[in-house]
Amino acid sequence: MNQVWNIFRKDFRHHWREIAASLALMVGFSWVQIREWTQQYRMAYGAASAAYEILSGLVVPLVPIAWMFLIVRAVQGESLVGDRQFWVSRPYDWKKLLAAKALFVLVFVTVPLFITDFFLVAMAGFRPWTYIVGLLWLQLIWVLLLLLPTAALATVTASIGQILLALLFIVLYAIGMAALSDAIPNSSFAAGNAGLYFLLIVATVLAVILLQYSRRKTAQSRWLIAALAAAITLIMVATPYRALIMHKYPLAGSGSLPLQLAPMPSHAPAPDDAMYAGNQVPIVLPFSLSGLPKDSFAELDGVILTLTNSQGGSWDSGWEQRGTELFPDQKTFSIDLNLRRDEFDRMKSSPVNARLLLAFTLYQDRQQRPFTVPRGEFAMPGLGLCSAGTRPWNSIGSLNCRVPLRSPNFLLISSEVAKGTCPLPKDAPPINPDEIARGYVRNSDPGPAEVGISPVKIVTVYLSDSPNSRISPGICPGTPLILSHPEETGHTRIELQLDNVSLADYQRSLRPAKSE
Amino acid sequence: MTSAIQTDNLVKKFRRVDALQGLTLNVPPGAVYALVGPNGAGKTTAIKILMNIFRATSGRAEMLGMDSFLIKGRQFESIGYVSENQELPEWMPAGLFLSYLRSFYPAWDRSLENELVKQFDLPLDRKLRHLSRGMRMKAALAGSLAYHPKLIMLDEPFTGLDPLVRDELIQGLLDRAEESTIFVSSHDLGEIESFASHVGYLEEGKLRFSEELASLVERFREVEVTFAVPPPLPQQVPENWMQLSTAAAVIRFTDCRFDAERTSADIRRVLGEAKNVSFAPMSLRSIFLAMAKSGRGTA
Repeated sequence: MNQVWNIFRKDFRHHWREIAASLALMVGFSWVQIREWTQQYRMAYGAASAAYEILSGLVVPLVPIAWMFLIVRAVQGESLVGDRQFWVSRPYDWKKLLAAKALFVLVFVTVPLFITDFFLVAMAGFRPWTYIVGLLWLQLIWVLLLLLPTAALATVTASIGQILLALLFIVLYAIGMAALSDAIPNSSFAAGNAGLYFLLIVATVLAVILLQYSRRKTAQSRWLIAALAAAITLIMVATPYRALIMHKYPLAGSGSLPLQLAPMPSHAPAPDDAMYAGNQVPIVLPFSLSGLPKDSFAELDGVILTLTNSQGGSWDSGWEQRGTELFPDQKTFSIDLNLRRDEFDRMKSSPVNARLLLAFTLYQDRQQRPFTVPRGEFAMPGLGLCSAGTRPWNSIGSLNCRVPLRSPNFLLISSEVAKGTCPLPKDAPPINPDEIARGYVRNSDPGPAEVGISPVKIVTVYLSDSPNSRISPGICPGTPLILSHPEETGHTRIELQLDNVSLADYQRSLRPAKSE
Repeated sequence: MTSAIQTDNLVKKFRRVDALQGLTLNVPPGAVYALVGPNGAGKTTAIKILMNIFRATSGRAEMLGMDSFLIKGRQFESIGYVSENQELPEWMPAGLFLSYLRSFYPAWDRSLENELVKQFDLPLDRKLRHLSRGMRMKAALAGSLAYHPKLIMLDEPFTGLDPLVRDELIQGLLDRAEESTIFVSSHDLGEIESFASHVGYLEEGKLRFSEELASLVERFREVEVTFAVPPPLPQQVPENWMQLSTAAAVIRFTDCRFDAERTSADIRRVLGEAKNVSFAPMSLRSIFLAMAKSGRGTA
């Protein structure tokens, strides 16, 4: 313990400036956060405001950068790379050295972060002890996602220059992987490997740190990191995405279709109205919708379109991700896809057979609760502390909330447009009495806290009656809302076949379609 | 423990470079052993293998009876190590450097530390990066002597130092020589000669010889043979004659296995009757120069 303490004291003495800067940034970050909550509805102009905006924008990325810098400096203080360091011939116990560095990170990064988070949760109007598990989880997430990887990189580099070079490699690798992901059909929709990648990264990072501290095998450690990059690339390339999607979304039998979809007629736009997006041609496939039981709804997660024509030509979009909710009161919806212009021209020359696969997640929405929006700040059940749209520049109100640690998995907010209390524009179209507007808050993060520097999330909810979308009613004091937490009931796949259609009929028009 | 340091057929390869080619070495306890040789001979590699900084490709090395491969952590409490290219924590003032090291050594002797600080005239409040090279070496040495190490390993400690500093460092070492075994690598032969008890010569990763300095100096002589008339150069000379040269009626050579009677007899047998024969003792520097130039290491 004596050795741990001595190394820790030495590091503190060496890096006190970096520590002070990191702590000052955390204080600055807290101040910016609190100011944003309290000032968020006020407009400010002028140079002072602009300067504040710049500084507040800078402080958020600077906080993790300061942590990374501090960790790199501390680890490289007893560099594990090379054979000239004075300490390698001294009676250092590697476990104690590692413990000293861990203590340093704990005392000067993790504990201040915890205190800052605790303070921010309290300042946001919540009881921090209620969220202690989430607060601890947030520390763990930071340790696993940033602090440990940074420490691992620091163990295989000898200087700030080397670690910047390593970071550059990582950025280039990430860009390359993003490009590769775009190039691999179906991969964007089936993002099922994230957990595996996370486990591989954490395992490799821990292995590198232990290997370096126990044996200083830098070459082996670097190879380990390179192997991780290769493994992730290999998994990304070799994953049978289409099969996984088919498995996750079983084909619905004709007798058990959760909803009825029927293609709607469409007409080719006039040549001058035909829309092109660069070398892409947007097409729109409209459908009528029925059969969704009350208290349930479906979310269109993904879509794949296969076209074949009589001349033997074919085209496949690959699975594309969507996130469109379909509710029982909704009568129509459309699917947008893009074809390359040359493919479009090739396929439109003769009638095509279109095969459309739609992947849905089904939800039940039973436990609905009425809630009338009060004036001022109020506690919104299942969400946080909110206030209704009082932005003076926006006649359409929104719900602005501070949410402790994480947003709910799925909070659906519905409102009958006719009962809205927000002032409407003078040219607003007449409101249909059955029209329902909806907004939602969603979060796919399974943990008790979302990743982020601040433990308090700012959530803004807008209501929309899309796809009817003639008007977006606001949320204002007095607006009656229906709140619910929909529960997922299953996944399914629906297959639609459109035979002998003219692809040109579905090209998007520059003119908005007339309301039916 | 019969040896403070022992290596057995130590081999180290760096990719295609054979840094050590079967180094077998034995340093008795209490010796001041100087491992000398030209740059790139493998001296630093040998020391780093002994200190478990490098791993040997094959062979075995021991220090103080411990397998070098296993030397780590607390085993360094009895070993001091100073190297010319060691990276010290340069941000530390010399005083902080010593006090920081103090906490690692149970046997740290505060009075010895003070003595060394005084002897080396160390400015305790100045950061190591602001010290001259000589002062940094002194600080490193003070930090490696103050805990009474049983073994002191020095890798080229005198390189680039002015003579005064070198003398101070050597004196500092000699003052501690009775309680420690000292192993020093150097190509600065003048200094080695003044305090080494044993010497080994490493060349191209091979140990050409290893013996007590006194016996080495004793067996090398510069021989000058003067004749009445210039003699013909002999076709064959004894193996132990190195750097044979002739100028008018004088023949000079270095005898690396000098024995007055035998050398005189060999001269008579090979060169004939001479007018005068003189044997001059050689400095360590002259011995190594002769060996390096002749390329005949196995003297």
